[in-house]
Amino acid sequence: MDIKLLEKLSNAVSIGHIDSALKVAESELSKYSEVSRFGETSLIAKINKGKDKTLLLDAHIDEVGFIVTKVLGQGFVRVASVGGNDARILPATPVVIHGKEDITAVFASTPPHLAGGDKDVKSLEDILLDTGRKDAENIVSPGDLVTYKTTFAPLGENVVSGKSLDDRAGVFCLIELAKRIYNKDINCNVTILLSEAEELGTRGAVTAAFALDADEAIAIDVSFGNAPDVSAEHSGKLGGGAMIGISPVLSGAVTNKIKSIAKEKNIIHQFEVMGGRTSTDADVISLSKSGIPTGLLSIPLRSMHTPCEVINTKDLESVISLLEEYVLGGIA
Amino acid sequence: MKNLLKTLCAIPAVSGREDKLREFVIEQIKGYAEYSVDQNGNLICFKKGKKPAVKKVMVDAHLDEVGIIASFITSDGFVKFQTVGGIDTAVMLGRRVVFENDVLGVVCLKPVHMLSSDEKKVMPKVENLYIDIGCESKAEAEEKISVGDTAVFYSEPEFLGDNILARAIDDRAGVACLITLLKEEAEFDFYATFTFGEEIGLRGAKTAAYTVSPDAAVILEATTAADLYGIAEDKKVCVLGGGPAISFMDRSTLYNKKLFDYANALNFKHQVKEYVSGGNNAGAVHLSKSGVPTLTVSLPCRYIHSPSCLANVGDLNDMYAFAKEVIVSLCGGKVL
Repeated sequence: MDIKLLEKLSNAVSIGHIDSALKVAESELSKYSEVSRFGETSLIAKINKGKDKTLLLDAHIDEVGFIVTKVLGQGFVRVASVGGNDARILPATPVVIHGKEDITAVFASTPPHLAGGDKDVKSLEDILLDTGRKDAENIVSPGDLVTYKTTFAPLGENVVSGKSLDDRAGVFCLIELAKRIYNKDINCNVTILLSEAEELGTRGAVTAAFALDADEAIAIDVSFGNAPDVSAEHSGKLGGGAMIGISPVLSGAVTNKIKSIAKEKNIIHQFEVMGGRTSTDADVISLSKSGIPTGLLSIPLRSMHTPCEVINTKDLESVISLLEEYVLGGIA
Repeated sequence: MKNLLKTLCAIPAVSGREDKLREFVIEQIKGYAEYSVDQNGNLICFKKGKKPAVKKVMVDAHLDEVGIIASFITSDGFVKFQTVGGIDTAVMLGRRVVFENDVLGVVCLKPVHMLSSDEKKVMPKVENLYIDIGCESKAEAEEKISVGDTAVFYSEPEFLGDNILARAIDDRAGVACLITLLKEEAEFDFYATFTFGEEIGLRGAKTAAYTVSPDAAVILEATTAADLYGIAEDKKVCVLGGGPAISFMDRSTLYNKKLFDYANALNFKHQVKEYVSGGNNAGAVHLSKSGVPTLTVSLPCRYIHSPSCLANVGDLNDMYAFAKEVIVSLCGGKVL
């Protein structure tokens, strides 16, 4: 696996109209497929085998972040959340404001003498960004997007940390998959969708799935990884393999096919059972037009929606292997 | 001097583990001053000036910074920790840490998606936090780190306009000024101490002051600036860009009035710290032996004790110039 590519995807940015991560994916996928942009910052990559049926594979390219709502005095900036951020972690966290140029800023933290022993978490409305620049209004404007400033780094042999691994890990799997299957003999067409705006409520997948008319689909996203304060039944073990989603929202046929591939081919995996919605693109792809049978594979990830998300690369290999076997098996 | 500060801020030196930084300082000042290292790790220097001093002056900056220390490794390979010095829990969450042996970790927390609405409002306690170092078992984790290993929060120092964003500006600001003072010609002889363990109770300064036994002392520090948007004027403590802050009182010291008044009357850019908060090595030094008149000169610093401190480069230069003038006056016997 080309971990350098995962590093590039993690360090780059895709949120709203900002598309440096999408460009990294675009340049890779164009080696193996016909690529085109869709919507504002979604990407469609078609591996056309001239077959009747098409399998849609989806991962979202966007990340959580913030948007500037007002530039205040003294270099301070007010922002609103883009996607679900955790207000607990914000004080003293560095970010990049994508203004006229990219500049670093830091979320202000309350000095101890003003906190008065208050242990409550401040909401985003009470935390400002500090640009450290008196001329901030020349660089920053309302509507500018803001992302976490983190550099990708390995923690161990197979464990890596970085920003936006939700869902660049999924994007990475699909690029690796395309590399492995594009010149193979398969009995269906494969369309890869890197969707925008998942973090704003799976919006990118709604319109793209409508436009693509797939016969089957699998969404690849991340889910909660095991951790001391996360219950085992609600999380997947890092290094335990792809989490195969099981939910009434998902297609039983697609899910069973994935399960039997995992068993037959001896690919490490685990299950993620959900009583209803999966909170991934699978929820909306499955309801596109008159419905698309959809499955879900998730990569266990710790510290979701923080600047340092953590995954195990063994789980990526598991996802890629499952998808490769699924594609080679074709769709009926 | 701003590049020296940037370099200093990148060297980890959690209280009690100041060795790397002390070695760096020694490399810098070697040949410019006599020095010795005491049994606790204080670096004590004597700077020969053009003239013998009328009053023996000790100028102090502390080497150490706040950080964390690994206290326990769980059966599934996570690291529990305690703080070394005072750190706000909020600034630790979701951050990358770097242990002494360069092992990386992440301060993990339950994902926001899994929190109840009540949990979202409450800051977790440090004892409930844990560090992910990418291991699956206690045995695997113990190959990488041991309990007792310290770590700092990862941060890449950088300049934001006229300001610097970095970890440990408290007290690399003082260290940068003091190195610079030692490397140039001095009017009078003086002593410089680079002390250990300030953040865990002014420990190094207590013994360093005993050893030097000065007539007067100047503490070079960093202090809280609360000049944030919307903060009332009387709560700002000091402001970035206003020059170094001198203290009349903090939680460790009621400062010598004569020395404070003299310094405050100097025609060098400075400000008065307008709030009684914080504390520093003056607390130990001014009570050394039968007492030492002491002045603290601090670099105003936002988000102090966080991985992202913000301070003004102009203030750093003004702090150096101000401190130099005070030291010459004190050494020459003009003040006390």
